[in-house]
Amino acid sequence: METTVTGANLLTFPHLHIWDWRVVLYLFLGGLTAGLLVMSAIANLRKGKMDEKDRACCIKVPLLAPFILMVGMFFIWLDIERKLNVFWFYLTFQPLSPMSWGGWGLGAAIPLSLLYGLSVVPPELNDILRFDILKKLAARLNPYMRKLAVINFGMGIFIGIYTGVLLSAFVARPLWNSSILPILFLNSALSTGAALVILMARRTSVKLFFTKVDIWLIFAEIVLILLFFYGHYTSTAPQRNSIMPFFSFTSEYFLYGVSTLLIAILFPLALVFELIEGKEEHGEELSPSVVLRMKMSAYMVLVGGFILRFAFVYAGQLSKLTSVS
Amino acid sequence: MPRYAMVIDQRRCVACMACVVACKRENDVPAEYYRTRVVETVEGTFPKLRMELRSELCNHCDNPPCVYNCPTAASHKRKDGTVQVDRKKCVGCKACVAACPYDARYMHPEKGYADKCTFCTHRLLEGKEPACVATCIGKSRIFGDLDDPQSDVSKLLRQHDASVLLVEAGTHPRVYYIKKLSKAE
Repeated sequence: METTVTGANLLTFPHLHIWDWRVVLYLFLGGLTAGLLVMSAIANLRKGKMDEKDRACCIKVPLLAPFILMVGMFFIWLDIERKLNVFWFYLTFQPLSPMSWGGWGLGAAIPLSLLYGLSVVPPELNDILRFDILKKLAARLNPYMRKLAVINFGMGIFIGIYTGVLLSAFVARPLWNSSILPILFLNSALSTGAALVILMARRTSVKLFFTKVDIWLIFAEIVLILLFFYGHYTSTAPQRNSIMPFFSFTSEYFLYGVSTLLIAILFPLALVFELIEGKEEHGEELSPSVVLRMKMSAYMVLVGGFILRFAFVYAGQLSKLTSVS
Repeated sequence: MPRYAMVIDQRRCVACMACVVACKRENDVPAEYYRTRVVETVEGTFPKLRMELRSELCNHCDNPPCVYNCPTAASHKRKDGTVQVDRKKCVGCKACVAACPYDARYMHPEKGYADKCTFCTHRLLEGKEPACVATCIGKSRIFGDLDDPQSDVSKLLRQHDASVLLVEAGTHPRVYYIKKLSKAE
């Protein structure tokens, strides 16, 4: 069959290419923020199981989260064609539009996570805050830390799911149009968040706790990826065709084939490394080789999370409901 | 209030591309961008060949994913059944472009808003047909009100087995295609 199209737009023909690395970074950093909010909330809400010194490791994490989110939002702002018109997001609420939910949700997440970040700073450690006004605000918010942690836990779950729903709502793009995608992105968000906490934490007990959390998250992520591909393969022809770039090494789809390969190596390897850490007996101080393995597994999870979003954002734009026009 | 629809009688299309040119001229569509297109598909092996000519444009769907995905309500469904873009509200997020299963939208290269076929609303207000319909030499494009039983579109849809594009998308398009000679008896 030979097809000639007169009047095709380059933006959509031969396939869609509207979103690039800026959207990939937005989704990745949004997911990372979601993971950090959830993991720090878990650390700060574990009553009795973590002492004050342990919790102190999770002081910088919630302080960092809103800034990572702001960087992510800066990248999506760069992608928007009419940058001065963004105020229209906040003059309406469209309940069926994931982007409208995102606009309002992320708009609320920044101040809430900033408040949470300040609330977790205990008075004896408030020297890390530079300005007096921040120190006073932190002291005033400290009694509400648990309530803010619960709110930010929910906010983290919302952001993690949102980054997937944003793509899965498009019936026109069979690769994205799956209810597994938001759960996969949420899982990946939590996993990358846990990985960054492992990297940032100083105390052995905290590193080990989040290593154990991450083991389950990586395991779930591998299962979700397999289920996603299985679901698409056994679905309609457009959905089956949409996953084919991930299993091809032709010049056209080489990057997607490499992405699959990297994900297939990074996540299981990170899982194995973390399983070893989880099983070994550790003292108060970790040996350099253990720290190296922990760091490597955390970096692998972070890189894998980025590759996952990169591959899905680009490959989704190759997919369409029909192979003609 | 009318319910506008378009019927494309593929049997009468000669792929002259007059609709593509008329649309660009009427709506001042930027160079290298289009609101309507003509798809020519050739199947088979010579000499047993079969060619299909199909004009495509925004389907002004009754269940429009572009409208649902728009975060600012810039893309909206009007009471006359047409899907329009309020340019001042458009932020250029491109969600509607991704949402359209018919790839009927583009981003205006200079002004940054999403753009597409409007069924030439400005002409409808003057009592004229859309530019592509008025210029179609084979009378392949027929436009009218679905609620008027005497309109050409209503008559054609009664007489023929018309189909829509990508029915599986569930968008309920308002652009109908006629391929066969008449309704099966």
